[in-house]
Amino acid sequence: MKALSVSSVTFRYEDSPRLALDQFSLTIAEGRMHALLGPNGAGKSTLMRIITGIQRGYSGSVLVFGHKMPDRSALLSLGYAPQAISLYPTLTARENLRFFGAMANLSDEELAHRSKEVLDRTGLNDRADEPVSQYSGGMQRRLNLAVAILHEPKMLLLDEPTVGVDPQSRNHIYETLLSLHASGMTILLSSHIMEEAQRLCSNVTLMDEGKVIFDGQMSEIDNLERFFLEKTGRGLRDG
Amino acid sequence: MTAKRQLKELIKKEILIRVRDKQTILLLFLMPIILIFFMTLALKGVYIDKISERQIRVVIENPSRLPKANLLEEKISSHKLIARVHQPPGADAEQIFEQTGAQVLVMIPPGFDAGDMPVELYFDPVLDTGYKVAIRSLITGLTVEVVMGIDNLDSVVANLIVEKSRPNRDIPSPLQQTVPAYAIFAMFFIAIPMSIGFIKEKNDGTLQRLFTYPVNANLVALGKITPYYMINLVQFFLMLLIGVFMAPSMVGLSFQLGQHPWHLFPVTLVVAAATTGYGVLVASLARTPEQSSTMAATGAILMGVLGGIMVPHFVMPAVMKKLAMVSPMYWAHQAYLDVFLRNAAFEQILPKLIVLTGFAVVCFYLAGRRVRWI
Repeated sequence: MKALSVSSVTFRYEDSPRLALDQFSLTIAEGRMHALLGPNGAGKSTLMRIITGIQRGYSGSVLVFGHKMPDRSALLSLGYAPQAISLYPTLTARENLRFFGAMANLSDEELAHRSKEVLDRTGLNDRADEPVSQYSGGMQRRLNLAVAILHEPKMLLLDEPTVGVDPQSRNHIYETLLSLHASGMTILLSSHIMEEAQRLCSNVTLMDEGKVIFDGQMSEIDNLERFFLEKTGRGLRDG
Repeated sequence: MTAKRQLKELIKKEILIRVRDKQTILLLFLMPIILIFFMTLALKGVYIDKISERQIRVVIENPSRLPKANLLEEKISSHKLIARVHQPPGADAEQIFEQTGAQVLVMIPPGFDAGDMPVELYFDPVLDTGYKVAIRSLITGLTVEVVMGIDNLDSVVANLIVEKSRPNRDIPSPLQQTVPAYAIFAMFFIAIPMSIGFIKEKNDGTLQRLFTYPVNANLVALGKITPYYMINLVQFFLMLLIGVFMAPSMVGLSFQLGQHPWHLFPVTLVVAAATTGYGVLVASLARTPEQSSTMAATGAILMGVLGGIMVPHFVMPAVMKKLAMVSPMYWAHQAYLDVFLRNAAFEQILPKLIVLTGFAVVCFYLAGRRVRWI
């Protein structure tokens, strides 16, 4: 089954002269870990927001596990970790998890069990009762991920999950993602870090200026940076 | 069941965030307490003359110590409106006023008993003309009593002159003015944390994240509004408790709740709806935290100045009294004065509550049209 099917999505932000997404199409099979690579401003975050139903006003279609988005019944099959650390800084990790768990309709019992699991998984159990504002950047990113997987989604959307993160936390996040993938979760990971995509993902979509540049297996490309430069005249790290 | 639990968690989250925000707690609770105390003391002098009987400070000289002179001295000294001040030895008339704070010197000359000499009055030069007339009238009446051998002149003229003034409905006591005034003022300031909190959640992505869950936008709105409404209620009742139990002993003035204090409940419920509506409107209009605080504070101050909060309504000129009606704070304050001062029946308070409800409805409607969640 296809976990995600994005068909000819076109979107322009209000008052913007250029298209954020231009006839963009993408398909991800269930159980895959798929990288979405592109420089800053390529449209990666916009695509994530459209898939999750946050952004409306586009043309084309988005299907998540067969459900046409936006579809509230499909929302819990998705877990989303945005690029910004979207947590409540004056609440503790546990309080953040409790809040988002309630929004995901987890019962108190499920919540207690899952909170412990995700805190263990992301290595935050020891500091779960401290306010998030006291966490390092890496810890905040791990908690961002913990919230996204709390309700055991079938598909995880990660928007630049390791930006600004120390190497220790980055490795921790990689291990968590590999472990989640091994358990069958479909993961779409957006990044402009090639090494991250190559380490974690079997499939890749390269995008620039809202368009697909390449969509296929990671093994088909020897050098992502050079490939992107040849196709677009720009580096992946340009923005 | 799901929606109920989600709402409970939305409210709990908002309350936790607010309670941990010390600056907000200071703004919403400490500011009105300080304003109540200082403004009550500052306005004390304005009210004393208008609503309570200030005693006239009098020095009496009675060198002859003859019977009629002594009787007049006794009548003046014992009158409820007179506070006798003793004359410093060797002081002349001018020095008496400077040294004692007396407002009038009554000289009963040796020839008074024989009817040869009139009582002499020396007024403090800075005394208002109207005040002089009132004091002269008082001393004249007491002198007539002594000269004519009448015990109480008031009882003789009781059938000639009758006071028909209606009970005071316009001039609150200092605490009746300041307690509701600054409670209302602080309640409108809820717009600041409300709007800043909303904008921060938009900017840092938590609001967007929230909409990736199956949660209704109306529920999110209710989860944001309800905690601030509750805070408003707590604000008012805390200020009321301070006004009733603490302020009187600290400022030396009493606080009257009126004969129907239970009317405070519906009044406060409606006032809190109006203040919350204002907060929601600011939240929907502002785009940055700086805009929020500027809009909210400026709006509240303007409403307060116009509405009889900073400057009591009863001292305003007629034009300003009319203009005050554009301010929702005016209607809120007057509704509270209906309870505290006028002992009004609920039917008399209702029109003001209708105006405030209308204000709240307009605010919520405009906010609903303008708000952008993402």
